[in-house]
Amino acid sequence: MRFVSGLILGIFVALLVGFGASFYALEDGRLFGALRIGPWAAWPGAGTDNVDPYTRAFLARSGQLQLGRSEGMRFIASTDSGGTPLRRQCRYQIDGTTPVATMWTLYARAPDSAVIGVPDRRPFIDSVTIPRHPDGRLTIRAGPGAVPGSWLATPGDGEYMLVLSIYDTSVFAGLGATLDALPVIYPEGCQ
Amino acid sequence: MTRYILWIVGGLFLGAIVHLVVILVVPLLAERNVWAKVSAMDALEKVALIEAPVAGEPNSFDLDPGLLYAVCRLNIAEGPGALEGELPASFWSIAVFEPGGTIVYSTTNRASNGRSVNLGIFNPAQTRLLAEQQLQIEEGLLIVESPGDDIFVLVRLWPGYTALAARYRASLSALTCRVVR
Repeated sequence: MRFVSGLILGIFVALLVGFGASFYALEDGRLFGALRIGPWAAWPGAGTDNVDPYTRAFLARSGQLQLGRSEGMRFIASTDSGGTPLRRQCRYQIDGTTPVATMWTLYARAPDSAVIGVPDRRPFIDSVTIPRHPDGRLTIRAGPGAVPGSWLATPGDGEYMLVLSIYDTSVFAGLGATLDALPVIYPEGCQ
Repeated sequence: MTRYILWIVGGLFLGAIVHLVVILVVPLLAERNVWAKVSAMDALEKVALIEAPVAGEPNSFDLDPGLLYAVCRLNIAEGPGALEGELPASFWSIAVFEPGGTIVYSTTNRASNGRSVNLGIFNPAQTRLLAEQQLQIEEGLLIVESPGDDIFVLVRLWPGYTALAARYRASLSALTCRVVR
């Protein structure tokens, strides 16, 4: 009897650990190889042919089209700079600079990959249309209600992510550009 | 009590093995992978546009809504693949994917000769033949070696302004994608 109960316990632990860790690794995205800068995370290895087994499994399961290493890099922030998850009903100030690149875009993304936005308005901000401060900094506000300046609409409720895609960046070419220059995300209150 | 701890330790060890097996097997069993989605499109040896993601709608490829996209699927067993044409003087990039969704090659307009797109995709045997015969390579031709015969090519194009999107989309549609037999 003790053998049977021990066996059941062992199998339970094995299934819980085995499938639980796999689900976490594949659901959260790639556990390994992440490049983290403040609230932003990127997976540089995903854009090469030398991907680790976790990234390979994540790509196979998600069916996402990754950015190639030469094309650029995609950073995802699921929290503000204080570590609190981003929520659609809250307003955030995204402030700072971006790495040297031909262009970049910023958009809000739901956990199911759907783009977040409002009708009759582009659901993204890019490097062409955004005004910058005299020192080169940019300020964007993300939130459910319209605000003056550069506004990224996040209607609805629930958690979301900010996706910053930097195209044709020279950060991998050793030309002096660095990835330290990513904007910070400040919370400004919730509805 | 000691016996139960041993069972738990054994369970943890077995769980680690289960975890590794799952991670290695998922790419083989995934049905909704990127290759399946691209295969469902009418993009075999021709360029097909991928609709730009719209707010609130599913975005199964997880694409950036700021860019325009075209895809072309090829089987290069019978001859090398070629992607040719011209794109507007804006940022564009090309990525060659293998069926597992990993990228075997990527480049941008900076590597191109002006606005022209001229990409040749060869499997290892074709690349070897190319080297052995020491053929004259056309200027501006980007040579890509693919480890396998099944591939697809994704072109990203940045319209910059919404007003230019229709014209840029037409430029993507005008690209030719074929197998040189």
